[in-house]
Amino acid sequence: MIALKNLTLEKDDFYLSDLCLEVSQGEIYFLLNRLDQGNDFLFRTLSGFQSAESGEISYDGMRLIGVERPQTAVFIDRVHDRADFDTEARLGHWLDFLCAQGLSREDIYKTLLVGNFHERHLKKMVRDLAPETFKLAYLAVCLAADGANIVINDFIKGAEKSFELKFNKLLLQKKAAGRSILFLGNDIFYASEIADRVGFIKNGRLMFEAAAVDLKDMDIKDLYLKFLN
Amino acid sequence: MLAFLRFERRRIFGERKNLIFLGFISLLSAYFVWSGLNEHRQFQAEKKIFIKFEKEKINQIVTYVQYGSFGFRLLYETSSLNLFFVNSSVLQDVESNIDSLEAIKVESSFKGKKLFLKRGYFKDFAGIPFIFGSLFMLYLGHMALVSPAYLRFISGRMTLKKYYALTTAARLFWLDLFFVSLGSGLFFLVQLGGVDFSRSETMIFFWYLLFLVLLLDFLYLMGQLTSVLVYFRKIFFLWFFIVWFVCIFLLPEINRISVFNQSLVLESAEKVNLEKFRTLMALEKKFRDYLKVNPAAPLDQIRQMQKKFAVQFLNSTYLVNTGLETKYLRDVEKVIAGHERQSVLFPTTFYHFLTGEVSGKGYYGYLDFMDYIMKLRNRFMQFYLKKRYESNDAAVESFVKNEENLFRARSRLPKTFWLGLLATVLYGAAFLALAYWRLRCLVFQP
Repeated sequence: MIALKNLTLEKDDFYLSDLCLEVSQGEIYFLLNRLDQGNDFLFRTLSGFQSAESGEISYDGMRLIGVERPQTAVFIDRVHDRADFDTEARLGHWLDFLCAQGLSREDIYKTLLVGNFHERHLKKMVRDLAPETFKLAYLAVCLAADGANIVINDFIKGAEKSFELKFNKLLLQKKAAGRSILFLGNDIFYASEIADRVGFIKNGRLMFEAAAVDLKDMDIKDLYLKFLN
Repeated sequence: MLAFLRFERRRIFGERKNLIFLGFISLLSAYFVWSGLNEHRQFQAEKKIFIKFEKEKINQIVTYVQYGSFGFRLLYETSSLNLFFVNSSVLQDVESNIDSLEAIKVESSFKGKKLFLKRGYFKDFAGIPFIFGSLFMLYLGHMALVSPAYLRFISGRMTLKKYYALTTAARLFWLDLFFVSLGSGLFFLVQLGGVDFSRSETMIFFWYLLFLVLLLDFLYLMGQLTSVLVYFRKIFFLWFFIVWFVCIFLLPEINRISVFNQSLVLESAEKVNLEKFRTLMALEKKFRDYLKVNPAAPLDQIRQMQKKFAVQFLNSTYLVNTGLETKYLRDVEKVIAGHERQSVLFPTTFYHFLTGEVSGKGYYGYLDFMDYIMKLRNRFMQFYLKKRYESNDAAVESFVKNEENLFRARSRLPKTFWLGLLATVLYGAAFLALAYWRLRCLVFQP
């Protein structure tokens, strides 16, 4: 379970005050925030790279103190640019290296197979892979860690629909396996499609929370204009 | 660690542009070693001609007066190791002429083939890894950590400290292995080519190779640090070039200018020569005054007086002049010692000093050469004056015995070698720690 209590963050123009939410096991919570920078900052705080001004973050009851990596959570950040991951090694070699660090090769390949990954891609350099192929490999590595909690930062932004569908399939598998999933993003349509609950952040506060089922009865365009425009 | 070693080997040697660059460094190094080997062989051939010529010359000389005026030439022969450092030496091909004149000459000839032996800054084995190796190491240092996003991703799988330390260690292992293999491979190839190295020369070469590798490691760590300091931005390449230029060209050049400025406190060599000439002429004047006072002195008496003056010359004037020359040489030695101390301050400046000394044609080689000249000249003067006044014009006997007219300079490590090595290691360690500290701030922002 992911729990945030009175979480307050501040950086440059972005601020967030007294954020409280809980994501239960087998639930997908979509936190909508207009600013990408804000999502990035919140994601970094949740993943232990930055410390919050005040408040608490806990995963399965274990409190995150200052800057430290939580052990019971998996973090999937959005990939801005493939070049950020260009190690000048072939993808297969990179995966070998990560497997030697304790990741299960079987788990990685399980995710890759969902995405119709071809063996020939393993022989390519990261920079030579199609963006979606790299995203899939990245996702496979992230999910191979398999924590009880998953925090995702706008991962499907800009991805093709086919990739989005594969991703949804994986996400729903994880949900079915009882994982608590917190998704940060700004796509209200995608949120209504995948999430169980949706929260809207505006002016640094969690303004509105609703079950995704209820969203279908609401005017999404109106919600978008109200909270995300 | 094994996984890191395997992954970094694949990263470095699996990338085509790295392979091209490494191939280029290997080929260029091999070419310049081959060129150095040719020069070495050419020198050996010239040396034989030189020895033969000097032997022939003595047969043509009729009197000891002629022998005193013409004297004999002294050739500076470096150790065989010089073929790796033909352009990194302080001295070029030099020789001296030892005769009864006062000035000590150290000259370089540009006659015939030597006119075409034009050398440049880095065109030898020592120069290629220094120029291109440093560039490559800076680049690989920059590529090592990939990006902050990658580091955040990877620190979910292991600690940042572990990744940083093991990646650096693994990359340096492979790169060092490459440069050590290149250096030692060429060293053994040269031996197959018929050049013999003594045990001490072999040791010196491998100590040099150790310093080269540490210098390249230092540049790798500097590349890593620069890339962290500029937050992995694309403008890194501008900084990359500036850092490279400053380390490789600017600082050694500033060091060279500095030693030149320090040498300005030395008296002009011409002034020393003039001083010696004055002392000599004072004695000559005494002899002329004696002849003026005794114009009708018989030839035997004049000869006796000449001998007396010669003995007086050896015991006073010559000693004064030798003292002047020795003092001048010790002053030069002080400047060299100051330059050596200053060179230790930065790895690339020390590298220049080190290659000069390892080549056998460095500053200390020059001092040894001058000491040898003075010792030989001292003996020659005694030989000459004794023979001139006592031999009664018998056939001229050569002063040179057993190739004494060859000065064999030895390769050496400077006295400050360990200090230079330690300074380089400390710089590297400081850069490693500083880069980690900055990297932590960059990845984990409290």
